[in-house]
Amino acid sequence: MGDVSRLLADYGPVFVQALFLTWKLTVISFVPGFLLGMVVTVLRLLPLPPLRFVLTVYVEIFRNIPSVALLIFIVFALPDLNVVIDYEPSVVLTLALVCSAFTADYLRAGINTIPGGQVEAALSLGMRPMRIITAVVLPQALRAVVQPMTSLLIALMLSTSLASQVPFPGRELTALVSKIATDSAAGIPAFAVAAAMYVATGLLIAWAGATLEKKARILR
Amino acid sequence: MSIKSILKSTVGALAIVTGGSVFAQGTPIDAAAFDALVAQGPVADAATIASSTWASKIKQAGTLRLGGTQTSNLFSLLNEKDGKARGFDAGLAQLVTRYILGDGAKYKFTQVTSSTREQVLINDQVDMVLATYSITPARAEKISFAGPYYTSQAGVLVKANNKVIQSYNDLAGKKAATQAGSTGPAILAQYAPKAAVQEFQTHQEALDALRQGRVDAYVTDYTLLLNALSLGTGDARLAGTPFGAQDPYGIGLPKGSDGVAFVNAFLKKLEADGTWAKLWTISIGQRTGSTAVPTPPPIP
Amino acid sequence: MSRPLEDILFGAPSPQAQAVTRAVSGIAAAVLLLLAAGIVFRFHAAGQLDARFWEFFAWPTTWAFLAKGLLGTLASSAMAAAIALALGLVLLVGRLARPRLVRWPSIALIEFLRGTPTLLLIYVCFLVLPSAGIKLSTYWMLTLPISLSTAAVVAEVYRAGVLAVPRGQTDAARSLGLTEAQVFFLVVFPQTLRYIIPALVAQLVIVVKDTTFGYVVTYGELMQNAKVLIANYHALVPVYLVVAALYCLVNYAISRASKRLGGPMH
Repeated sequence: MGDVSRLLADYGPVFVQALFLTWKLTVISFVPGFLLGMVVTVLRLLPLPPLRFVLTVYVEIFRNIPSVALLIFIVFALPDLNVVIDYEPSVVLTLALVCSAFTADYLRAGINTIPGGQVEAALSLGMRPMRIITAVVLPQALRAVVQPMTSLLIALMLSTSLASQVPFPGRELTALVSKIATDSAAGIPAFAVAAAMYVATGLLIAWAGATLEKKARILR
Repeated sequence: MSIKSILKSTVGALAIVTGGSVFAQGTPIDAAAFDALVAQGPVADAATIASSTWASKIKQAGTLRLGGTQTSNLFSLLNEKDGKARGFDAGLAQLVTRYILGDGAKYKFTQVTSSTREQVLINDQVDMVLATYSITPARAEKISFAGPYYTSQAGVLVKANNKVIQSYNDLAGKKAATQAGSTGPAILAQYAPKAAVQEFQTHQEALDALRQGRVDAYVTDYTLLLNALSLGTGDARLAGTPFGAQDPYGIGLPKGSDGVAFVNAFLKKLEADGTWAKLWTISIGQRTGSTAVPTPPPIP
Repeated sequence: MSRPLEDILFGAPSPQAQAVTRAVSGIAAAVLLLLAAGIVFRFHAAGQLDARFWEFFAWPTTWAFLAKGLLGTLASSAMAAAIALALGLVLLVGRLARPRLVRWPSIALIEFLRGTPTLLLIYVCFLVLPSAGIKLSTYWMLTLPISLSTAAVVAEVYRAGVLAVPRGQTDAARSLGLTEAQVFFLVVFPQTLRYIIPALVAQLVIVVKDTTFGYVVTYGELMQNAKVLIANYHALVPVYLVVAALYCLVNYAISRASKRLGGPMH
């Protein structure tokens, strides 16, 4: 315990900064990733075979590619195609793309829980398909997927550790632990503090998700 | 002649030669000459090995666990077609292997980066590290060094059309790449404190960053930069002359190991019988257009 | 089986709607093809279609080299997955145990391993443990943290499956006089497996993805071999593209295989 307090005395503010950076990366990757996933899901519903095919390939690629491989491709290979993206946007882009693929998958499963009868009823009321999607299908699908989306958000938060693999401006928690462990002997306390921060954040998100799920869940 | 003056004249030679893009894809190493040189290296007798616990352990294990690079053009590049690594560091490593085990190929290779070099020795993942490894007091606290077997200074590499940066003095406010865990960050902190530093895990990644325009300059060991120039695509140039303290390259060994004395004795042997000079010619001299062989640094 | 939603939404279109759909499909296809052409052109403009960047892929030595890397990836993944499945079961039993002294530490351990990034655990094995005197081999420095991290997730997957088994099964088994252990291992757990195979396979895919961090501990796997090829041929884009495709293919194959394994469900 003495080690930890000494560590916090030396590195306390740096740890807080790293925690905020982790949170920041999580949020700015999740929002576009989630929105993009929703767009992909809706587009996949349209009866346009070429579009469905391309989007299915998109989802399969970004679900199966290791995030580190994708990040390295964006940071180191894309510039050879004359597309130079700075480090922080590269990390955000990587996380958002992967998040969108998983979101599309989960939303699709959520849509499958909606009884077909509702859509038939809406059609017989004269509603246009796009209106049905936005007014009937999507709201219920979103309410049905709160639990897997919570897990996805936690996984995304843990994936921000990727930023330690490129010359990122600023250190998030994992990069900070690696630096402290290399420069000093305080590796174990640093790891304990970082782990505590990650676990606490994850539990917070899980609690928020569970509360949201109870309110939003549709009992059929 | 000292290595310093050799480097200066090498640059001059290169400047002339690269103008004619003779080395379109870099002069590949003379594999036959390299393999022949390693094959005729000395082999230690039982008594010499027995005098060192480090060497005895390796002899007993039957393989030498080596930490090095496979992606450094002049020092150690793996040819994936025949599975052999060749270069100045690779040659020394294979000569040491042959010295202890009788066969230069009996090593087990682990790829290290500039930030994992100490840790693999501390973790006992490897027996020795040969990877353009500069001897610094900070590192000497965690591990031991044999050698030095080469010296270099720092240099600044910029794109050929960059007229703004003429030396390390012009780096203020510019983006400079360097290798994480190398002497680069300290040198930049001392000579160009106002530069925006980006640290990369390997030499190749830093070179690519320069080529792709992510950074304005790359500061690292001068010899590694000659590496880049030897590829002769003509779009990089050295800004200014080598600067900073003489950077000795050493062979990393576990802390306090008696392998230090063993390897130092072997290095002196190589330097005395001309193998060091021949290795330099094959791996560096012929490929950078320099004919004057430098004298190796003195070993304490 | 009810029809998928989009069939209900867009099924039975009028001839007018059909014509419109066909036209829009055509436009969509044209736009996508233009996009693809644009990407190929970008490759060409950047000089990435030059033969020297791709010709080494025609040599069997290149593929043999990549295959070696892939083998390293699979060797670590297979072991990590096997350990995770077994260790996950141990954690599950602890999690479901009656005595609080067993249950609470299990919950804490599961939350701890689930709640920290695998990369952080890998760094700990590489940088921190050795100074505490624990020196693992390179292989285990990668495989152990991945297996621990995955075991915790697997334990939760098992738990979800156990909770999904109908209560009646446990009651009937108990009324037949089976012991708690027999109830769990003979009746509940086998049925759990049928529900959770897709989730377990998803974890296997994550294990394969985690092995790409091998270079952090200097373990030789596919990413590392890719870097050697790049250093030899300076073909950043082609090599990384091919390696990314290899990873996608391997993971896709694993996911596909699970669809075959997923047997009949209640």
